[in-house]
Amino acid sequence: MRLALTLATLLLLAFSAGAQAPPIRIGFASAMSGPAAITGEGVRWGATLAVEEINAKGGVAGRKIEAFFADNKAQPGEAVSAVRKLADVDQVDVIIGQTHSGACLGAMPVVKEIGVPMVIEACSHPKIRELSGKGGNEWTFRVALDDEIMAYTFARYMARQGVKSSSILAMNNDFGRGAAVAYDAAFKKANIQLLSTEFFDPGQPDYRPVLTRLKRANPETILAVILASDGAPFMRQFRELGLTQRVFSRGSLGSAEFLHQVRDNPKVGDGVVEASYWITGLDPEWDKKWTERYKVPPRIHGSLAAITLKWAVVPALEIALKKHGKADRPTIRTALEEVDVKDSPLGPIKFDANHQAWINMILIEMRDGQLRILEKLPTSPALLN
Amino acid sequence: MISDVLEQLLHGLTLGAMYAMVAAGLALMLGVARLINFAHGEFFMLGAYAFWFGYSELGLPYAVAALLAPAVMVIFGVAYQRGVIRAILPRSWHVQLIATLATSIVLTNLAIIVLGAQPKEVPTVLSSRILDVGGLRIAWQRLLVLAASLLIFWGLHRFVGRTRTGRAMRAMSQNREACAVVGVDVQRTAMVTFALSAALAATAAALVSPLFNIFPDMGTTLTLKAFAAVVAGGFGYVNGAIAASFLIGLTEALAGSYVSYAYKDAIAFLIMIAVLLWRPQGLFGRRIGI
Amino acid sequence: MRRAGWLGLGVIVVAAPWLVAAAVPRQQRYVLHVLIFTALFAALALSYDLVVGHVGSLSLAHPAFFGVGAYAAAILATRAGWPFLAGLPAAALAAAGVAALVGVPLFRLTEHAFAVGTLGLALVASVVANNWVEVTRGPLCITGIPKPTLGPLAVTTLPAFYWLALAALVAVGVLYRGLTTFRLGRAFHAVRDNEPLAGAAGIDPLKYRMLAFTIAAALAGGIGALYVHYLSVMCPEEMTVALTVNLLVIVFLGGVGSLRGVLVGAVLFTALPEVLRLAPTWRLVIYGGLLLLVIVRSPEGIESLLRRVTGARAGR
Repeated sequence: MRLALTLATLLLLAFSAGAQAPPIRIGFASAMSGPAAITGEGVRWGATLAVEEINAKGGVAGRKIEAFFADNKAQPGEAVSAVRKLADVDQVDVIIGQTHSGACLGAMPVVKEIGVPMVIEACSHPKIRELSGKGGNEWTFRVALDDEIMAYTFARYMARQGVKSSSILAMNNDFGRGAAVAYDAAFKKANIQLLSTEFFDPGQPDYRPVLTRLKRANPETILAVILASDGAPFMRQFRELGLTQRVFSRGSLGSAEFLHQVRDNPKVGDGVVEASYWITGLDPEWDKKWTERYKVPPRIHGSLAAITLKWAVVPALEIALKKHGKADRPTIRTALEEVDVKDSPLGPIKFDANHQAWINMILIEMRDGQLRILEKLPTSPALLN
Repeated sequence: MISDVLEQLLHGLTLGAMYAMVAAGLALMLGVARLINFAHGEFFMLGAYAFWFGYSELGLPYAVAALLAPAVMVIFGVAYQRGVIRAILPRSWHVQLIATLATSIVLTNLAIIVLGAQPKEVPTVLSSRILDVGGLRIAWQRLLVLAASLLIFWGLHRFVGRTRTGRAMRAMSQNREACAVVGVDVQRTAMVTFALSAALAATAAALVSPLFNIFPDMGTTLTLKAFAAVVAGGFGYVNGAIAASFLIGLTEALAGSYVSYAYKDAIAFLIMIAVLLWRPQGLFGRRIGI
Repeated sequence: MRRAGWLGLGVIVVAAPWLVAAAVPRQQRYVLHVLIFTALFAALALSYDLVVGHVGSLSLAHPAFFGVGAYAAAILATRAGWPFLAGLPAAALAAAGVAALVGVPLFRLTEHAFAVGTLGLALVASVVANNWVEVTRGPLCITGIPKPTLGPLAVTTLPAFYWLALAALVAVGVLYRGLTTFRLGRAFHAVRDNEPLAGAAGIDPLKYRMLAFTIAAALAGGIGALYVHYLSVMCPEEMTVALTVNLLVIVFLGGVGSLRGVLVGAVLFTALPEVLRLAPTWRLVIYGGLLLLVIVRSPEGIESLLRRVTGARAGR
């Protein structure tokens, strides 16, 4: 009896709380636990900060935003659970995620089944582009560039620098393996000889054996597919062993996060050229807010999630509310197709027929503890030829 | 070519030293107290963080911070013994395994929550200075690891062989029931064993962290490899565990460099499985005692 | 529980999809998804309990057998076009084959070495799955595994899959019950409780341990096949050592060696996170804490509490 009364009271309170226009619910899915937990932490931080920022300015067309989080553990099976949780339990109107390619691919059929739009902030598998958009999965959109696009562009840049040979060192996960396949093909097209490919388990910090393998293969350059937290021990041991190859990287080696990890000796990262689409400095106000709140330099996945929210999803919400008068899932999906932002920190955001946004690629050089943009390259489908 | 092999040998010895310090503690606990401790890697991890706190946050000199780590972990070891071990010691080893595994999960995830998932770097003077001998390049810290571990093993040998507590430990590992009868303080000896194990792991952490980095999950693979060494060496036989550890470290370094880097972490277990297939009682046979 | 109670429970369990649709219409797909996972986990835990609870061998290799079955089914379905009804027994057989192969040397070891040996096996299997890209595609995962077809019936909707998983659970449960009672069950228990005596009484411990081990592996492999056909992807992360931890929690929380206990454990293990709704890392802290508490205070698990409450006869 008492239980029934308590439940009834709670229900009443719950219903009465939603008296004003209900907030728009946005779900964020990433790896909140497991070996890739650091990416999820970044996404959570970035999302929280961005949502606060938006709500402080009055929300979107007068409606506040509410963030919900789910853990995909960087695995496709869990990504399915995460999407279902966000869509069915938290009743979100749109999802931003999944950060990791395997999780993205696992989630895609489910968002289609449920009918909830998902805007991908970081997954880099080329298959995602092939499977999305007209004639495919109409519920998935991607802001990030994939490995095929980046590899072709980067390899051509390397060739222009006179590079003749390379070895790949990549993370042994979906990101690294996918990138290795993409660069293998791209190097062939750019006439760069691929001498060897090595994989390492992210999180394990002992690179000596693989560094001696690389020394023996004797390439001119190393293409490192690696994140900042692994990059720090890697570069220290690289210097310890006295290797002299030029390091080209893809991931987050050339980043403020890396420089923070090696702040005792920033020269450890000298000469690294990173291919990316995000860097601190694209949005100095954001960097400042992040550093003030979290006491560390901004991280890539968190910043990507925030940018996706602010420059892709929010414009779509505005279009949905102003043009169509509502912000439910199908309307948000239609609105996303109409988004045409010219000046986000990443460049233009406009989704093509495959629901892919062609943002800018940036080449960054690390030297003396500083990051310098070498080239900012606009991208387009023509790059793939 | 030669310097290449030498480099790998040195690296393998460094790894082996690290594994040996951790495995020795594990073997001690197994031999003396009949305790399976699946949270042993967390002694290493927490010791590393204690070292980091002393060195990075408090700014203590390296030697002081390196001694702070085992000191903190001795206290932790005693608390762990009082809190968890005492309840599970008289129970079956199934219970011990699962209880310590559960503790490991709790400790690892609490570390993620409290300390964050971002790895901590603790470069020291010795880890940044490189010794260059005719093409062979090695950070001074690695030599420190080797030298310190030799000292520690010698000290351990003397402790177990010469002191009263050491003799009590050996007695307990051979015949526990008889110990109580002849007046050995079983409780106190067990307590000293835990403290010693924890201190060994923490010292290894303080020595090795400057070469790598510190993160909450760093203990889990280490626990498994330490168990592999303990089993291959002959359950509860400390010298066997140490020998097996060096074998694992060397093979990992050599195989990782010359055979396959991706399969490196499976090496420890392949060795263990091979040893068990060849001699099911371990490399040194079913020895009684530590 | 009395007959009528069991019948009532059976009706509720079978009618779950409709009950869920009526009670929580907006969340029904998610709830069904959780129920499917619960059923599969429960079946897997029962197969694990055969080895741990009934012959008393603390094997930590179960993820390897699950993984072998899962990958076998995935590869046969995607590369050889095998239908589900052919892939399922093939997966079970593959897993059983591996178990028979490794079981012989493993069971020669002492208990402790056996545990660590099986752990090593699970780890090596995990590393191989992650790196043998030619076969398993490593971290890129095997994708596009089709939904299962049972002859003319295609299992495409969530309720349909729920009933399939439920049927599997019932089948495993019946097999479990059959294997652990009658003379065979008594032989298993004799080996578990007093191996030398069993040997003296003419019960060959090695033979019975191998039997339980191989059957358990076959079941794990079969459940692996069901799992991949549900998720339509298979990645190396699905067969890591973490799976052993989950199974240990279910079995020991629920009640090792008891059908009811393991079932309760599985339900709690999968339902609890949904109730808790905490950040994932806190969830893991709580699992660990709960496991620790239960194993120390009440190693018979929840089953012992249930027994005391219902005052029932011994469930072993």
